[in-house]
Amino acid sequence: MLLQVRNLRCGYGSLEAVRGVSLHVRAGEIVGLLGANGAGKSSLLKGLVGLLPPWSGTVRIAQRETIGCPAWRSVSNSTVLVPEGRMLFAEMTVKENLLIGGYHNPDRVMQMDIVFDRFPRLRERSGQMAGTLSGGEQQMLAIGRALMARPRLLLLDEPSMGLAPLMVKEVFAEIVRMREAGVTVLLVEQNVTATLGIADRAYVMETGEIVLEGSAADLSHHPLVKRAYLGQRDESPAPVPSTP
Amino acid sequence: MQMFDRKNETLPPAELEQLQLERLQAMVARLRRNVRRYRERLADVRIETLAEVKNLPFTTPEDMVDSFPYGMFAFPLREIIRLYSALGPGGRPLVVGHTRNDLVQWGRLAARQLAAAGVTANDVLQVSLGRVPESCGAGYLLGAELLEASIIAEDPIHMDHQFEVLKNYRPTFLITTPSHALELARTVEKRRMDAQSLQLRAIILSRPVPRETREQIASGLFSSVRCNFGVPEMLDPGIALECSAGRMHVQEDHFLPEICDDELVVTSLAREAVPLLRFRTRISARLERMKCACGRTGAVLTPGARLDQRYLVNETEFYETQVAEVLRQTRAAGNAFQLEAGERRLIVLIAMSEELFASTLPSPVEAKREIESEILGRLGVESEVQFVQRERRLSAALGES
Repeated sequence: MLLQVRNLRCGYGSLEAVRGVSLHVRAGEIVGLLGANGAGKSSLLKGLVGLLPPWSGTVRIAQRETIGCPAWRSVSNSTVLVPEGRMLFAEMTVKENLLIGGYHNPDRVMQMDIVFDRFPRLRERSGQMAGTLSGGEQQMLAIGRALMARPRLLLLDEPSMGLAPLMVKEVFAEIVRMREAGVTVLLVEQNVTATLGIADRAYVMETGEIVLEGSAADLSHHPLVKRAYLGQRDESPAPVPSTP
Repeated sequence: MQMFDRKNETLPPAELEQLQLERLQAMVARLRRNVRRYRERLADVRIETLAEVKNLPFTTPEDMVDSFPYGMFAFPLREIIRLYSALGPGGRPLVVGHTRNDLVQWGRLAARQLAAAGVTANDVLQVSLGRVPESCGAGYLLGAELLEASIIAEDPIHMDHQFEVLKNYRPTFLITTPSHALELARTVEKRRMDAQSLQLRAIILSRPVPRETREQIASGLFSSVRCNFGVPEMLDPGIALECSAGRMHVQEDHFLPEICDDELVVTSLAREAVPLLRFRTRISARLERMKCACGRTGAVLTPGARLDQRYLVNETEFYETQVAEVLRQTRAAGNAFQLEAGERRLIVLIAMSEELFASTLPSPVEAKREIESEILGRLGVESEVQFVQRERRLSAALGES
């Protein structure tokens, strides 16, 4: 197991956003983390890298206990978070953004070439301000910046958010290519169809708890997933029959 | 040494524990949301380790019959695509529902069991389960389909018919009851047939049997013998599988077993329609962790006797209360009785009383025939009624027989 999480609890003030979550990701897997808005998915990712101080629980990355480590150390634990909304340095060039991503990597210039080979459009726009890129290009840059740290585990938070369908397809194809290159991915998404299309396994979160886990193929047929996230509505909703 | 799902059948202990904990936590979250009966009992309990499963409430067979039919369902009926009834305490019915995913998972679990017995796509399986509830055969059908093995669902009433099936279809596996397998072995011997010519590779028995019975069947039919272990209230087959080393491994990625006061208690970690938390199986059992030559990591289960008043006669299950109910409808109403399960028939010892023959003075033979036919008609069990002199001699009479 590359990532092993047990009973992770974290939140904001007195609000418990992640309520005792356990999950695991094996090396080489793409694991989806699905759920509606406010289910606690992004908080969970932040808890994993230390951006949100965990209240309790254990997080092991490659057998090393990482809970309580400051966020900046997670990069040296080979774990990088691509945050929701990209969080690029808009006033800096593509190249500068990439170099910041590889700040602790002595081979960052060489690594930048690898990233440029992966995203040729970023090479074309290396001198352009990040804020002037299209949404899809910005997402590519955010992923490219993460790859500069040569992570083993990549945590992606809503990479498809705000992208045109064609661009979503491209981003997801890129995630598959990254896995082929040896990167393990934990993918938080609301685009359930696309996620289950590329993931090996997935977890479903509701109000801070995992309520379902399974292989992506099984979950794509799961009534809960179909109803809640794939937009399939029932003609005649009936309550769960129950004896008083 | 074949495995249908090597990765999940041989999960290293640390990974298995992580998976079980994740599934247990998700199950508790779902139960709290979807099943009122559990919501009330679970309150705010949180499970942080597998050992803490002990803090969760039990589910009993009585809970299932009390909430019959749909009170334990975690999904609305529109998601349930199959229903099987099972025998509950006192002969009351209970129902096990399956969602589409439940059936898919069930097929995989049954396929693991069949593959462990050696079934491949080249095999022909005869499923002949007689009075065993239909759900058992259905599980094997799903499993055989996944292994692409051919399956014949033939239930021969007469041994001649059974031999015809064996001759015509040449099944290599026979999935059947111990009674049927024993009768087949005995017939082979009586007719002085060559058991080897039957070309049966293995017999899969519907329930565990003592070693002597197993050997008798194996040598009588010149084939290997594997036993099934299921809990019909939860899933049967699918909870455990017998490996080539003769050990019964619990399929622990799907079921969390415990032993509480000698009783097997199982939590179904991945069932959707009717998830059961800490289900008391009313079966005594032993659980051991050991390194098995087959490579599977699931705990080894040694099932024992039933702990409730459920009888098994000629592959038909029933409860003492059901017999009492039948007797209440006969002239033996009110008389003390005791039961003894024979291999083929149920022995019913009834204490004689003055009232028993007082009204119309029928002959004991007539009374005996009437009661036996009532038991057969209502419970489907052949019986032999014996009248004993005094109530207090019932136990002694049983002890002697």
